[in-house]
Amino acid sequence: MTHLTMQQLLDVREPASSPGSQSARQHLGTCHVCQDELERSHQRTAQLKALPTLQAPRDLWPEIRSQVVAHRRRRRAAWGGVGGLALAASIALFLVLGGRPVAAPEEESSRAIGTAMAQSQMLETALGRYRPEGRVTDGRTATVVAGLETRIAEVDRQLQVAGMMRQRVRDEALLSLWRQRVGLMDALVNVHLTRATNAGL
Amino acid sequence: MMTGVMSATLDDVSIQRAKSGDISALEDIYRAYEHMVYALARRICRAPEDAEDVLQETFLEVCRSIGTFRGTGHGSLTAWIKRIAASKALMRIRREKYRDTDELHEDTAPSRKGSDVALRMDLDAAINRLSDTARAVVWLHDVEGYTHGEIGAMMGKSVSFSKSQLARAHVRLRGWLGEEATA
Repeated sequence: MTHLTMQQLLDVREPASSPGSQSARQHLGTCHVCQDELERSHQRTAQLKALPTLQAPRDLWPEIRSQVVAHRRRRRAAWGGVGGLALAASIALFLVLGGRPVAAPEEESSRAIGTAMAQSQMLETALGRYRPEGRVTDGRTATVVAGLETRIAEVDRQLQVAGMMRQRVRDEALLSLWRQRVGLMDALVNVHLTRATNAGL
Repeated sequence: MMTGVMSATLDDVSIQRAKSGDISALEDIYRAYEHMVYALARRICRAPEDAEDVLQETFLEVCRSIGTFRGTGHGSLTAWIKRIAASKALMRIRREKYRDTDELHEDTAPSRKGSDVALRMDLDAAINRLSDTARAVVWLHDVEGYTHGEIGAMMGKSVSFSKSQLARAHVRLRGWLGEEATA
């Protein structure tokens, strides 16, 4: 008597995806050897599922977190580079239009955005020189820093969205967002400066 | 077991906070899923240090891509994270080009049934004796519940490849565990 192969048995085991051949099913209905074999395969699977859960030997979150934060910082720096170009473009535009006796609202808005961008970039540069990722930070400071960096990343995302809006709406949104960014960057720099002062650095 | 832990610590608000980039919410996700991911990686990769690398790579990917996660609730988040972990683990065993050790053992193992019984071992040791590919297929199909179609897609192979790997692995496990049919 020819018994079912393991593959035929496993096909029969999962009727939803592999119904198995009719003849295999008929054989299984009458063959105790194949029925026992099928039962053993069920038991093996049950035993596999019951194997103990292996636990990670150490906490990897601090490493993951620092890499995520560094990644965000690099993205912000890249955005700062784009911001620098945009700032240069804004200044150029302002200079072109600057000969007019009375500034139009768009020009005022453009100038204010340019100022906020310049302040943000200056703070970013100052922070970059300080290289906070290479310094020891206590848990409380790290939490505050992480919160500020998260909010800055969110503002950056909104800035990208705002860049696609219609001009008048865009300028208002950009100005508001850049000012928020300056406030957050300022707070971030202050956190690091406070930490450095307390540590005597 | 794991679901209970996740229910206790993760809710939809936490997931939304993580999607917006909140680092403490991302840590909550790590805490809820680290053991699930490590266990999966460890079963596929064999070496503990490789499993640690997969755990780290998985959560870096989770942190960077969670904004693109479209599901809600920890059920779909579990499936999403598990899929990332499985892909990373499979990528690692491909990259490391481990030897197919069960082929090696098959060549050297005695072939008579009496000797096979002497080789009886526990399931944990037996599954570790399978080749990396076979072990991954067994684990993903029988324990994690992936279909052959899904496993084939993750491995860049066909459905029949996954099926035949599973069948061969069960034959080997049966022999190593001393479960050969007696009829």
